[in-house]
Amino acid sequence: MTEGRKTGKESFEEALAQLEEVVARLEDENVGLEEAIKLFERGVRLARRCREQLAAVERRVEQLLAEAPEGGEPQTAPFVPEEG
Amino acid sequence: MSAQIFGVGELIRQVNAALAGAFSGVWVRGELSGVKTASSGHRYFQIKDAEGTLSCAMWAARADRLRFKLTDGLAVLLYGSLEVYPQRGSLQLIVAEVRPEGIGELQLAFEQLKAKLQGEGLFAAERKRPMPALPLRVGIVTSPAGAAVRDVLKVLSRWERLSVLLAPVRVQGRGAEGEIAQALGRLGRSGLVDVILLVRGGGSLEDLWAFNEEMVARAIAASPVPVISGVGHEVDVSIADFVADIRAATPTHAAELVVAQLERQERRVAEQSLRLRTALERRLERLRLRVEVLAGARGLSRFPVRLRELRERLTRLAALAPLLRRVVTARHRRLDGLVSRLYRWPVRFGAPRRRELVTARLSVAAERLRALVQRRALVLAGAERTLAALSPMAVLQRGYSITWNEGCEVPLRSPSETAAGSRIRTRLAGGEIRSLVLGSGGVQGSLFGTQGTGDRGQREGNGDD
Repeated sequence: MTEGRKTGKESFEEALAQLEEVVARLEDENVGLEEAIKLFERGVRLARRCREQLAAVERRVEQLLAEAPEGGEPQTAPFVPEEG
Repeated sequence: MSAQIFGVGELIRQVNAALAGAFSGVWVRGELSGVKTASSGHRYFQIKDAEGTLSCAMWAARADRLRFKLTDGLAVLLYGSLEVYPQRGSLQLIVAEVRPEGIGELQLAFEQLKAKLQGEGLFAAERKRPMPALPLRVGIVTSPAGAAVRDVLKVLSRWERLSVLLAPVRVQGRGAEGEIAQALGRLGRSGLVDVILLVRGGGSLEDLWAFNEEMVARAIAASPVPVISGVGHEVDVSIADFVADIRAATPTHAAELVVAQLERQERRVAEQSLRLRTALERRLERLRLRVEVLAGARGLSRFPVRLRELRERLTRLAALAPLLRRVVTARHRRLDGLVSRLYRWPVRFGAPRRRELVTARLSVAAERLRALVQRRALVLAGAERTLAALSPMAVLQRGYSITWNEGCEVPLRSPSETAAGSRIRTRLAGGEIRSLVLGSGGVQGSLFGTQGTGDRGQREGNGDD
């Protein structure tokens, strides 16, 4: 689950906060065209980063196994619920 | 009657034998006082009412099995056997069973633990952690066979990419609380989950009892990861609910809170993306309007050929400038989160073909939208640069000039508007030249048409007044 490490909630929140700031600046009519286009590009990149993080985890359903080796990583196995 | 003489110990033995016959299994009603726990774990206390007081002892093995605590003032029914304690000669009740009066024992235990943990501040709002920003890795502590786990997985499957890690436990029966507490600790420390759902389907107060155990409450409080409780039905309240960071009414509700958070975050991103695009489009639209206003202005309409040229140039510019291409052609797997709401997955997490079709169609739609935005952006960005070129001064900079008959404010459009011998003024970018006309041909004048030119000159003359 190494991909989980990269989905820091800080970085999502951070990217979203930056995106909100970029949008606010872009909506300010006093910003020049050149800067507006730079802001737009930056905003697109930030939005993409946010979306990537929203999808950064592999879909899976597992269970934690009772026995973990001494000092080792917790062991997991696929889990399929019984039909009820 | 001759008096029988006993040794002290012998007499007490005789009394105890008599008591064993008459009072070996008695119920007594009263109120507890002076409750003490000896280092051995045995409990010593008195039971009293308005008329009397009786010493009591309850051995640790039995007392430890009580779900509630013996406290002073508690109204109880005691069951046990009376005996005289030989060393002190005092009468005492050896207690086998305690039943609270006027309240169920579970209810009593619940109230007692609740008061205790509340006193420690375990339920305080300041302790509660919020839902994580991105609860994408969800831990579940529950029975692997119950309805709760199916309900939770069904709801969680609504989010396309989410990982679930179940810590299977027994949720009722002796020892269940220990399993639950341990599972909470293992999941929390594993570093594999962002949030933990502690859930169980409905049942009697007895069935749900594990969630009212102090051990579980303390494990929730100690969890390094926020815990969402969803125990029983909506009417059930457990100690776990009070300690949990977030209380959900049911297992389903607990899972819904997780999905709702993810959907909320996705909406926020989508909303900002939309505002981003709208802001840029609005700005480019304003530029376009400025170009049009200038194009329609009187000053520029005097240069119809030049203006046409500039318009063509604007179009060419638009095609050349790759300004926004790399920005807007970035492909995303999803378009503003709309996709995720279009399909619902079954619990088994198959990958239905329908979903892929929908995704593909949306990609095409997204591409079209992007291409549209891109075209408009390019045209308008080119337009801004053209603005400078459209100013009359810039036209003169390129070598064009304006000529008047001396003393006349209307520029010449045709050689026929002047005649040999007339004095004319010519305005160049750098200044004016005054000249004498040697001759004027009528041939070139036909390009514009004398009649039309005259009309226009008149109209403009009127406008100048």
